[in-house]
Amino acid sequence: MKGEERATRSEQASDRDGRPDDPITEPDPETQGSDVAEETEDQANQPGRLMGTFLLLRELWRLVRGERQRTRKLSWLFGLLRPYRARVAVTLVALIAATAAGLAPPYLAGRAIDNGIANHDLNALDLIVAAFVLSALVYWAATYIQTYLVGWVGQRALQDLRERIYTHLQGMSIGFFTRNRPGVLISRLTNDIEALDTLVTDGVVTLISSTLTLLGVVVILLLLDLQLALVTFVTFPLLAVGSVAFRIASSGAYRLTREKIANITAYLQETLSGVRVVRSFAQEPRHLDRMSVLNEENKAANMTTVYLNAAYFPAVELLSAIGTTVILLFGGYQAIDGNIKVGILVAFVGYLNAFFDPIQQISQLYTTYQQGMAALDKIFDLLETRPDMVDQPNALDPGRLRGEIELDHVSFSYGEEDWALDEIDLHIPAGQTVALVGETGAGKSTLAKLVARFYDPQRGRLLVDGHDLRELSSAALRSQLGIVPQEGFLFSGTVRENIAFGRPDASEDEIRAAADAVGAEPFIERLRDGYETEIGERGVSLSAGQRQLVAFARALLAEPRILILDEATSNVDVRTERIIERGLERLLLGRTAIVIAHRLSTIRRAGRIVVLEQGRIVEAGTHEELIEAGGAYSRLYGAWAEQAA
Amino acid sequence: MTTFRRLLGFLRPYRRSVVASLVFASLAMVMTVAIPWLVGRTVDVITPPDTDRSAILPLALAIVGAGILRLGLTVVRRLIAGKVSVAVEFDLRERFYRHLQGLELGFFDSQQTGQLMSRATIDLQSIRFFLGYGLIFLTQNALTLALASAVMFALKPDLAALALLPVPFVVLSAMRYNRRSRPAVQEIQQRLAELTGEVEEGISGIRIVKAFARERFMLDRFRRSVGRVFDQEIYSTRLQAFYSPMLGFLPSLGLAVVLLVGGRQVINNTLSLGDFTAFYTYLIMLTGPMRMLGMSLGMAQRAVASGNRLFEMLDREPRIVSPADAPALPEGPGRVELRGVSLAYNGGAPALEDVDLPVEAGRTVALVGPTGSGKTSLVGLLARLYDPSRGAVLIDGADLRSVDVRSLRSQVAFVADDSFLFSATVAENIAYARPNASREQIELAARRAQAHGFIERFPDGYETLVGERGLTLSGGQRQRVAIARALLADPRILILDDATSSVDAQTEAAIKRGLGEAMAGRTTFIVAHRMSTISLADEVVVMDGGRIVDRGTHDALIERCPLYAEIAEHGLADSVFLQRDLERREEVAGL
Repeated sequence: MKGEERATRSEQASDRDGRPDDPITEPDPETQGSDVAEETEDQANQPGRLMGTFLLLRELWRLVRGERQRTRKLSWLFGLLRPYRARVAVTLVALIAATAAGLAPPYLAGRAIDNGIANHDLNALDLIVAAFVLSALVYWAATYIQTYLVGWVGQRALQDLRERIYTHLQGMSIGFFTRNRPGVLISRLTNDIEALDTLVTDGVVTLISSTLTLLGVVVILLLLDLQLALVTFVTFPLLAVGSVAFRIASSGAYRLTREKIANITAYLQETLSGVRVVRSFAQEPRHLDRMSVLNEENKAANMTTVYLNAAYFPAVELLSAIGTTVILLFGGYQAIDGNIKVGILVAFVGYLNAFFDPIQQISQLYTTYQQGMAALDKIFDLLETRPDMVDQPNALDPGRLRGEIELDHVSFSYGEEDWALDEIDLHIPAGQTVALVGETGAGKSTLAKLVARFYDPQRGRLLVDGHDLRELSSAALRSQLGIVPQEGFLFSGTVRENIAFGRPDASEDEIRAAADAVGAEPFIERLRDGYETEIGERGVSLSAGQRQLVAFARALLAEPRILILDEATSNVDVRTERIIERGLERLLLGRTAIVIAHRLSTIRRAGRIVVLEQGRIVEAGTHEELIEAGGAYSRLYGAWAEQAA
Repeated sequence: MTTFRRLLGFLRPYRRSVVASLVFASLAMVMTVAIPWLVGRTVDVITPPDTDRSAILPLALAIVGAGILRLGLTVVRRLIAGKVSVAVEFDLRERFYRHLQGLELGFFDSQQTGQLMSRATIDLQSIRFFLGYGLIFLTQNALTLALASAVMFALKPDLAALALLPVPFVVLSAMRYNRRSRPAVQEIQQRLAELTGEVEEGISGIRIVKAFARERFMLDRFRRSVGRVFDQEIYSTRLQAFYSPMLGFLPSLGLAVVLLVGGRQVINNTLSLGDFTAFYTYLIMLTGPMRMLGMSLGMAQRAVASGNRLFEMLDREPRIVSPADAPALPEGPGRVELRGVSLAYNGGAPALEDVDLPVEAGRTVALVGPTGSGKTSLVGLLARLYDPSRGAVLIDGADLRSVDVRSLRSQVAFVADDSFLFSATVAENIAYARPNASREQIELAARRAQAHGFIERFPDGYETLVGERGLTLSGGQRQRVAIARALLADPRILILDDATSSVDAQTEAAIKRGLGEAMAGRTTFIVAHRMSTISLADEVVVMDGGRIVDRGTHDALIERCPLYAEIAEHGLADSVFLQRDLERREEVAGL
C-alpha cells in the first residue's frame, strides 16, 4: 500500500499533476472520523493554513523540542524491531546499495562523455556503459530486497504491537472498559497503528534514503567541481524553505478535506440507515439540501488544495529550470575556458533532479512524523495504564464450587457519585434463584456485577463458599460462573462456535444436548446450515428470541455453578416466549442464580425476590410473602395488575 | 466503451475548461520539451572546437524564459483543471445522492448498506480521480511522450528508435502494476475493516469473554484477523517490490543505449555532443511520463469498472413515483380501504394475500398476530412505502398510486419499533416532518408522548444532540421521541408499529393518555403485542400468514378466535412487569 503511495506521490511531487497525497493515499473515509473527539484533539496541534516564517520557525522548534521528550518513545518503538534485527541489517545494506546505485548514472554519463567520447576511447566507453548497466541491475535487485523487507519487517513489528495492545486490553478490568469508550480503544488498534505504520515503514525509509541521496549528491558535486557545486546549491535553501512551508500549509488543508469527506460519508451512512424514516415522512428534499451543503464544503476544502498545489509544483519546476540555467551559464564559460569538462556539466544537470526529489520528500515527512507521534503518544498512554484488578500472588483455586454466595456489608460506588450499593447483607444458599427487582438505578445490575467480580467493593466482602472473591483465582472463579447478558450478545462465527464458547472442547452431542435442553434445537435445525450457520454481520441475523436461546445454550453447556442472568426485555411473539420461559427454567435448575428480572413469570418462580431501592435491600421473600407483607413489592405489583387489567 | 463515453459525459458541462486546460497543458509541455533541446544547444556551443562564448547567455536566458512561461501556463492549467475536477466530484456526488433519495424503500431492502456505501466511496472515488486527474495525466503524459519522441526522431531517427525501445514495456508494466495493486490495496482496507470488526466484538463482548474466561480464544481470533491483514500487506508489498524497481530499471536500458550507441555516433561525428546530451536528458525526463501514462491507463480501466457498477445503480429507475401531474391527496377525514391487496417483496413468497380491509375515518384499529403475519407489511402500504402486487390501497377514495407521494406521506405518520433518530438535537428530531414548528408545538408533542420529562433533564434540554455523535438514548426514550415526531407531523393517519415495545408499563399508561388526545380525529393503526396497547383500539384485526383471520372487538374475538385468545392470554400474563433500565446508558452486552 505505502509503496504505491510513495511511488505515485514522489512522481507527482517531482513534476506531474497535483494533489500529492491524493489519488492513492486518500484514506478510506470509513475508517476516518470514527473518533471525532480525537480529530479535534489533534487539531489543536495544527498550525492552520497560515504560512510565514514565524510559524515555520515555531513549528521547527516544536519539532526539535518534542524530539527530546519523544526519544524514549521512539527508541521503544524501534525496539519492536529487535526480533528482526538480521533482516533490518539486510534492509539497511540494501537501502544503502540502492541509494548508491541510484546515484551512479549521472556520474557515469559524465565519465562516458569525458573519458570515452571526448577521448575517442571505445574501450573506456564500453566499460562505462557496462558499469552503467551494472548499477541499474544493482538498483533493481537492492530495491527489490529493500522494498520487500521493509514491508515485511514493518508489518511484522506492527502486528506484534497490535497483539501486545490487544493482550494488554484483555488484562484490564471491566471497570476500565466502562470508563473508556469502545470507539477510542478500537482506534488504538486500528487508526493509530496505521499512522505508526506510515511512520515506521514509509517515514523511516524516506528519511534514510532521501538523506543519503541528498548527502551523496552534495558530496559528489563538491568532489566533481567545488565552485560549480557551491553555485548550484544556491537553489537549495529556497527549495527547502518553500517545501516545508508548503507541507505545513497543505497538511492542514488535506486534513480539512479528509474531515469534509468523512462528514459526507457519515451523513450518507446515516440517511441510508434511516431511509425508512426519510421515506415515510417524505423529507428527501431536506436531506438533499444538507448533502449539498456538505458537498459544497468539501468542494471548498478541495479548492484550497488546488490553489496550494498550483502555487507550489510549478514553482518547483521553475526552480529546476533556474538551477539548470545557473549550471549551464556558470559552467559554460568555465568549460570554454577549459576549467571544467563538458561531461561534468552534464552530470551536474543530471544530479539536479536527484537533489530536488529528496528535499521534497523529506519535507513531506513533517506530516507523517506528526501523525505518527500523536498515535504513538496515545498507544503509550494505553500501554502504561496498569491493569487495576490482578490476582493476588497466592490466589486460591477452590475446586468445584457449591455456589453459596454471601454479601457481607458490601458498599460500592462507581466514582465520586453516591453509593450505588450501600451496606448490602445478603446470603444466597447454594442452588437458590434470587430475582432482583427494583427501579432503574436501584443497584440490581451493580450487585450482579460485583458477584461476577467485574468490580471489587470499596467496603465489605463478597464470599463464595466462604472464600473472599479477592482471594480466589479469577480464572477458577470465572470458569464456574455463567453470564447471560440482556440481549444475548453473540460473536460472529457459527452457531456451534457460539454455543461452545465457554467449553470449546465440548462434543457434538453435548452441544446438541444443550441446545435441545433450552429449546433452541428446532430453530437451529431450520437454519440454512444448521449448527454451522454463520451468524453476525457476515451471516444470518437472528431474532432477539433466537439470540436469547443461543445464549442460554451457551451458558448451559458451560455448566456454571453460579449463573447471572439479565433478563431480556424485547418483545418476542407468543410461541417464542413460551420456549424461552421453558429454556430459562431448565437453565436455572440446580444452580445458584442471580436474575435481574423483568418478567412476572420469572419473578414468581424465583426462590426469593430481593427488592432494591437506592442501593439498599428493602424487602426479600417469595412472591406470596411479599404480597402478604404489603410493602414496596406489593405496590409495584398492584400498579401492574391495574395496568394489565 | 459505452461506459467510458458515459463517464466522459460528466465532463460535458465543463467542455470549455477541459479544452482550455488541454491547450495550456500542451503549451507547457512544449516548454518542457524545449528545455533539454536548449541544454543540448548549450553543450554544443561550449564543446570544442566550435565554441561560441556569446551564445551561452542567450541560450541560458531562453531556458529561464521557457521555465517562466511554463510556470505561467502550468499555474493557469492547474487552476482550470483543479476547478473542473472538484466540480465533477461535486456533480457526481449530487447525482448519486439525488438518485438514491429518489429510489423507493424496496430497493434498500434488497441492498446491503455496505454495498451502497462502497459505491458511494470507492467507486465514486475511482471515477472522480480518473475524470479529475487521470484524464489530464493521460493526455499530458501521452503528449509529452509524443513531443519528446518527435524531437528525438528529428534529431537522430535511428538512435531515437533504439532509445525509445523500452517505452512500451514501461507503459505496459506500469499499467499492469496499477491494475493489480489497486485491488490489492482495497483488499487491505477490507481486511482492516474486518480487523476493526473483530476488535469491536472483542471489546464490546469483553464481559462475556471474561465471564467465560476465553481471553486466549479471542486473542487467537484476533491473531487470525491480524494475520489476514499481514498476508495481504505482504502480497501488496510483493507486487510493489516486483514492479517498482522494474519500472526504475527499464528506462535505464534506454539510457545505456544512448551512451553506447550515441557515444559511438559522437565519436564517428554523426551526432553532435549537444544532441547526445539532449537525448540523454530527454530520456531522464521521460521516465516519469512513461510510468504515469501507464498508471493513468490503469486508472482508466478501474474507472470503467467502477462506472459499470455506478451506472447499474443510476440506471435503476425509481419504482414508486407519482404521475407527473398527480393531484394532492384529496381532503378528507381519513377513511382507509385495502381492496384485494396482495404483496410480495422482490418476487418472494407473498407477505400479504388478498387482504380486504375497510377502516372508517377516525377509528383506531389494532393489528395483532404472530411474527411474520404481515402486520408491518400492511401498514407500510398505507404510506405507499411499497406498492401492492395486486389490488389497491385507497385513502378517502383516492388510489394511492394516483396521488402525489409527498402529499400522501405528509398525511401519514409512522412510528416504528426501532425508532431511528438522526444526529441532530432532540428538538430537530421531533420537528423532523415540520421543520418550522414552534417550540410550543414541539413541547406539546413531547408532552403527549411522555418525552418532555426526560428531555428536560438532558444537559441541554431540547437542544441536546442525540444519535451517533451525541447522547445515546435508551430504546424507550427513542420510541417516545419518535412518537412525538409523528404527533407533530399532525397526520390524518397515524401508524404505531410496535411503537411502545421498549417502554415500561407505567410510562406506557401515561403515553396512552397522551395518545388518547392525539388520536382524536385521526385514523390510527396500532401493531402491538401487549394487551395494554391493544386496549387502545376500537377494534382488533387478527392476522396470520399474510391474511386477515378475524376482525372485531376484543370481547367478541376472545370468544370466537382461538389465535386471538392465545395472544391475549400471553399479553396479559407476561407483559413486562417492572421498570426497566431505561434512563441509564448501559454498556453493550452489559448487565
